[in-house]
Amino acid sequence: MRRLPILTGILVAALALALAAGPAAAQTLKVGMVTDMGGVDDKSFNQGSWEGIVRAIRELGIHGRYLESQQQSDYARNILEFIEQDYDLIVTVGFLLGDATLHYAKQFPDQKFAIVDYSYDPPVENIRDILFATDEAAFLAGYLAAGMTQTGVVGTFGGIALPTVTIFMDGFEAGVKYYNQVKGTNVQVLGWNAKTEQGLFAGNFESTDDGRRLAEALMDEGADIIMPVAGPVGLGAAAAAQERGAMIIGVDSDWYLTAPEFGDVILTSVVKKMDQAVFDVIQSVADGTFTGGLYWGTLAMGAVDIAPFHEFEDDVPDWLKEELEQVRQGIISGEIDIDAILYS
Amino acid sequence: MSQLQPVGPVSADLLEEAAPVVEPKRWGPVVASVLVALAIAVLFIRVVPDGVVTTFRMAGGQGAAARVAPWVIPSRPGLVVLALFALAMAVWAYRAPRRANLALGLALLSFVGAFLIWAAAGKSLNLLAMLQSTLVRAVPLTLAALSGVMCERSGVINIAIEGMMLTAAFGAVLGTTLSGGSLWIGLLVAMLTGLLMAWVHGVLSIKYKVDQIVSGTVINILAVGLTSYLSGRFLQDPAFNWLNRAGTFAPVKIPVLNRIPVIGPLLFEGNFFFYLTIALVIGLSILLFRTRFGLRVRAVGEHPRAADTLGVNVYLMRYAAVLLGGVLAGLGGAYFTIGSVGRFDEQMTAGRGFIGLAAMIFGNWTPAGAFGASLLFGFADSLQTRLQILGIPIPSEFLLMAPYIVTIVVISGLVGRATPPAADGQPYEK
Repeated sequence: MRRLPILTGILVAALALALAAGPAAAQTLKVGMVTDMGGVDDKSFNQGSWEGIVRAIRELGIHGRYLESQQQSDYARNILEFIEQDYDLIVTVGFLLGDATLHYAKQFPDQKFAIVDYSYDPPVENIRDILFATDEAAFLAGYLAAGMTQTGVVGTFGGIALPTVTIFMDGFEAGVKYYNQVKGTNVQVLGWNAKTEQGLFAGNFESTDDGRRLAEALMDEGADIIMPVAGPVGLGAAAAAQERGAMIIGVDSDWYLTAPEFGDVILTSVVKKMDQAVFDVIQSVADGTFTGGLYWGTLAMGAVDIAPFHEFEDDVPDWLKEELEQVRQGIISGEIDIDAILYS
Repeated sequence: MSQLQPVGPVSADLLEEAAPVVEPKRWGPVVASVLVALAIAVLFIRVVPDGVVTTFRMAGGQGAAARVAPWVIPSRPGLVVLALFALAMAVWAYRAPRRANLALGLALLSFVGAFLIWAAAGKSLNLLAMLQSTLVRAVPLTLAALSGVMCERSGVINIAIEGMMLTAAFGAVLGTTLSGGSLWIGLLVAMLTGLLMAWVHGVLSIKYKVDQIVSGTVINILAVGLTSYLSGRFLQDPAFNWLNRAGTFAPVKIPVLNRIPVIGPLLFEGNFFFYLTIALVIGLSILLFRTRFGLRVRAVGEHPRAADTLGVNVYLMRYAAVLLGGVLAGLGGAYFTIGSVGRFDEQMTAGRGFIGLAAMIFGNWTPAGAFGASLLFGFADSLQTRLQILGIPIPSEFLLMAPYIVTIVVISGLVGRATPPAADGQPYEK
């Protein structure tokens, strides 16, 4: 009898967790997604990837489901759950799932996988790795920020120093540096230095309060435009910017649309079209044209870009818009070498 | 560390021979203070070039015009002064063993100062804003720790503070938006949510005598599952997005006092929850140590059978303490949403409840101690943020460890043994 309350408690908890997962049904192509921590509504890679599956559910009539990982030990369990249920494609989201995905891809060579934000060298036959040249889009954001700052200081911070995070910060810093080179200005970037690989990080992707404090610290040191590369943590930065009158550059998705309450401070967003990439991979499974190896999303193919300026449309001067267009062409044609600028 | 070896035997000899000395010498703090001075010399003075200055701006955060001119400190001379100060503290610790801990504390403080001067050498740092952020960062930790103090003083371990805060953060947002934007109702709902979760913990651990760690873990899992589901289903859904726009309490400005330079912006222009926390620290100190209720709660936590014999209702006292703890955790949870970012996101409390528990232990199960410990954590937190911005050549992963390293150093070096309530964690059976 004494155990009863614990059991009930555990059951209630299990029920709540089960409810947190997506809906189940249908007998068609089955696509399962394993999220990283931060939840499927993280306004970031989990959400972006899930939107690709949602689109496939709508347009291709597939059956899609996700399992949320609350901690790193959930990755393997969630992947295995989909394997056991005979899913046709398992999409794993995030750098941190790289090892677990590879492990099961080797153990189950007939199971198709796609992983967002990670790649394998050499490529694995049954994993499609989706990576983005995010620095190309972030470069545009950096150039824009350098042209828009009033204080001559812009800032950025990350969640955890993972390659998929720092690539945003690299591009951003390079864009500012390029602006300085072209214009002879001295706009400073706080929070990231590609040469020393030192920067400002929250240490997690959950604590919006941390995001607020980091943004405040950057503003205290003079930054008036901030690009938080930390999933939902960045929304805390947006709240601080709103209070103190700074601008925010969103990441992953167009924050003006996904977090409309902060619309008045969102200058633009560095968009990674994960939904398109995931949709493309699902389509290839449906067509029977699935192959393993790298899906490399670039600015040229429109897989990464900066979002419209929305409420700042009138504040961004025309000369800057024209220059951004030239910079874009320069990146696409290869005239602008981001790494060369970054490490110059 | 080899130079430390002779110290042990030497101190023993001294103790034996120096009969007239009333107080025994305490060599730990003396040696540590000397080491601090050496560290300042080796790590900082050696590497900072001559003629460089460190600028500490005292502008504060809210973008108001600076009321105080920046402090411009010549880096090298400044470091030398701090190193000498640490040596002086070593001498003081030797001369006055009773004050040795205080001396070591001050020596460590001079190390922190030296660290800042070195990190910002040739650059500038907004020192006042850093201190402001220290206070705000201490708020959720303090509230979590106070919740822990209340529960554990009555003998009930509460590791469910994290879960209580998370649900209360959620409740605060819903309470605010559903009531048409009243933050006060949000605050009330957060308190009630915390109370409800604490009641579950109370029923499980007091009435059914479930292992308190198990009960706490269950509540934490339940909180994550429940809030993640409800948040995903409603708050993050564009159709219900208005539910997640709660807003935050405006900063409280205390007139006249906020015009005092440095102190004004630091203490009298702050987050609403900061003042609430101060009031609660004082209030709970009085409640626990100056009232009959507090005495009974502590008695029940130390020796429930003795208290029972004297006619104190053990169960009632424990329920009261746990429920009060829940209300405190609820306030802590409300901070994350209506005190900070104005919206709810999954798992946004990110482990602060557990750090709050560390602050409780560190603060030796007293409200004031917990507040002090939280301030130290808050300082380490905001310090490492500034250091990362300054781009000092230490990897961010190491800087993020700073708060925890500080804890270990201070607990092992300064505080000594922390003693929990004797009956902490033991269910009481009549």
